[in-house]
Amino acid sequence: MSSQSPSQSPGATFAVLGLFSDPQKILDAAKQVRPKRLGRLEAYTPYPVHGLDKAVGIPPSKLGRLVLAMGLLGASLALLFEGWTSAIDYPLMTSGKALFSWQAFVPVMFEVTVLFATFTAGLAMLFAFNKLPFFGHPVLHTKVIKDITRDKLALSIEAADASFDTEAARQALLDGGAETVEVVPVPAWNRPLTLNGLLLTIAGIVAACVVSGAGLYALEKLIPVIPPYVHMEDQPKLNAFRSSTFFADGRGMRMAVEGTVARGHLPPAFKTPEEAGAMLTNPLPLTDKLAERGRKVFNDHCAICHGRVGDGVPLLSRAYGAKPANLLSKELAARPDGYIYGVIMKGKNAMPSYAPDLDENDRWAAVHYVRILQRSQNAKDEDLP
Amino acid sequence: MSTATAQLPKELQPLELIEGKVTVGSLDDQVLQFPDRRPPKAWFIALGVTLTALIIGVFCMGYTLYYGIGTWGNNRPVAWGFGIINFVFWVGIGHAGTLISAILFLFRARWRNAIARFSEAMTIFAVMCAGIFPVLHTGRPWFAYWLFPYPNERALWVNFRSPLVWDVFAVSTYFSVSLVFWYLGLVPDFASMRDRTKEGIRKSIYSVLSLGWRGAASHWVHYEKAYLLLAGLATGLVISVHSVVSFDFATSLVPGWHMTIFPPYFVAGAIFAGFAMVVIVLTVVRKTMNLANLITDNHLDTMNKLILAMSCIMGYAYFMEGGTAWYSANPYIQHTFKNYVSGFYGWAGITTITCNVLIPQLFWFRRVRRSIPAMIFVSLAVTLGMWMERFVIIVISLSQDYLPTAWHKYMPTKIDFGILLGSFGLFFTLVLLFARVLPVIATTEMKASLPGAQAGHGGGHE
Repeated sequence: MSSQSPSQSPGATFAVLGLFSDPQKILDAAKQVRPKRLGRLEAYTPYPVHGLDKAVGIPPSKLGRLVLAMGLLGASLALLFEGWTSAIDYPLMTSGKALFSWQAFVPVMFEVTVLFATFTAGLAMLFAFNKLPFFGHPVLHTKVIKDITRDKLALSIEAADASFDTEAARQALLDGGAETVEVVPVPAWNRPLTLNGLLLTIAGIVAACVVSGAGLYALEKLIPVIPPYVHMEDQPKLNAFRSSTFFADGRGMRMAVEGTVARGHLPPAFKTPEEAGAMLTNPLPLTDKLAERGRKVFNDHCAICHGRVGDGVPLLSRAYGAKPANLLSKELAARPDGYIYGVIMKGKNAMPSYAPDLDENDRWAAVHYVRILQRSQNAKDEDLP
Repeated sequence: MSTATAQLPKELQPLELIEGKVTVGSLDDQVLQFPDRRPPKAWFIALGVTLTALIIGVFCMGYTLYYGIGTWGNNRPVAWGFGIINFVFWVGIGHAGTLISAILFLFRARWRNAIARFSEAMTIFAVMCAGIFPVLHTGRPWFAYWLFPYPNERALWVNFRSPLVWDVFAVSTYFSVSLVFWYLGLVPDFASMRDRTKEGIRKSIYSVLSLGWRGAASHWVHYEKAYLLLAGLATGLVISVHSVVSFDFATSLVPGWHMTIFPPYFVAGAIFAGFAMVVIVLTVVRKTMNLANLITDNHLDTMNKLILAMSCIMGYAYFMEGGTAWYSANPYIQHTFKNYVSGFYGWAGITTITCNVLIPQLFWFRRVRRSIPAMIFVSLAVTLGMWMERFVIIVISLSQDYLPTAWHKYMPTKIDFGILLGSFGLFFTLVLLFARVLPVIATTEMKASLPGAQAGHGGGHE
């Protein structure tokens, strides 16, 4: 925009405005003045006068192409997003339809298309094409702006460079039939944003945030806010681990009766793993299903220290000091099943007891899996089928 | 008026849309002088009434928030109740504004210019009223943002195959687009207001809102293009928004809802109800704001003709509903349709048909179309009838569906009625305030189509 070019010093002529009342006369004047090439032609009118844009030499708007492009972008983004959420990120089966059922995505696609296109048409027109808001334009500070936004039509010859001939422009407009002519000087300040203004705005926003935040904090301290829906949030039931005055022990939840034994958690008869090795044999026959169960138990509970294949290389970092046993060692391979079961129950060295976490079947499944690992990791030729 | 139309018989000639002499300048003086005048006493009384209604509504909403959704009449099997009836009703009211501002703009119906601004404002206010209900109806409105797909710690997305999600997108798009459209039309008017207001806070506000609009020809080129594009885009919304609302019903299996006629039937009903509301408000506005020479009897006559046409479409839709029930040979659908006009809620169906189909037939008579009391009566009847229609669709269908053991009657509570009253209070409060602070007629559009405003031909363009 010429008004923003720094070459123009305040006080120089920005433009010469000629005022008209009759739309036909301003059209004729524009056609008459244009070939004289006195400066850039522009018109200021209270409403769009058809044909005036062509008469002053303004090309047709290219807004339509941008809106089309943004509309198509909106449609594709919506389709991709809907497809990605419904079929890939969170596959959701609805009414037995395919995961990527594009037909059902059409309504939202349409809405997003309209949303993108509308905001492009409205905001791009104002902000990008017309470079608004702009409060510093010289025409806004003329005497005739009152008439321009009311009922007068103004033809303007605007200075393109320093060689602009104010008097010639003035005469050309008068010859064209202008009722009055006004010379518009370049105002001293004509930029929409200065660094100072920008900083002040940011400081203002920050100050407003601080004040409102502090105010809200103070208000909340002063006035206890009633939480909405108290009747749904605070229900007269007791959650686990809540305190309660109802029971003598002050707990909300009840403890199991003394001596209660959970299924699969019978207290062991042995004291040490060695005793267990002498007393127990694996009661569960090895099946595919049990091996699979054993792998899960091993990977969930044992692999973190003993390694995925049981070689004693932990998944933990070296900063973990203890040295887990190599389950593939000859010494352990020679131990009976009951011994391994006993270690799971009682723990050994740094290893804690896993009795509370695993029931009887899980423990024996893990023992099977350790045996599978021992055999597969030291496989011999005759193991091949 | 060009010579081509002058040769036409009198009935086919374009209607006179302006009474007396109006020039580009006098239009501004007439429409934009409102801030300099003290509003009449009646305005304060009206504001008092609407604010009272609004306060009652706000109290009832607060009561609902505090005690929960149990204060409403909703319960199984009628889980939708007033919340959804009022939502559909208000969204429908908005449709007239978009039809007037978008479709009639594309059709170059010049009579729309005088009423476009007001109806667009009514669209925005009506959608605001509509938004209250589904948000409260969610039960926990503070989680209303869960309706939008955003990355969250639950790793969940909304179900894009659900019409309820389409509804969220449709209504929020509708609101945003209406707002942009409205504001765009207001920008040049703000500039006019800015330049005719004396220095002061009011001038500053209008200056900021006008964005420094200066009416440059290079701006008008883009402006007109943008307005045309927006009209085209909003046209799609007129049809789509209420169609999507009807999908909430039509894609379910409830007897009386599962019908392919629902989308066009809902759209026609929305335009019907919206026009009735526009007529009610405009008759009051043109009288109290002395705009009768710009919003003439011819304008009201044309709108009343549209109401009549929509009423006939509604009659056809009701008839088709019966036809579908009969032809389906499905005892459940037939039972529901019988329930519409007889049985416990039969009075609601009778009221709907009387108000929507029978009373508007009065508009076949020219004298009724041009009589203010008569058109207010018909429009009030249509407003009541269209609210009743949503009551019939929602309550009657839900209260007796496939499982007779689950049948249950629905009774709204005082709180239900209070919130409905509050929504009317909000709507009319906003309408009253709007008439005081913003130009109620799109002066820029009017100016461009006034006689002598365009070069070359005597009559106005568009």
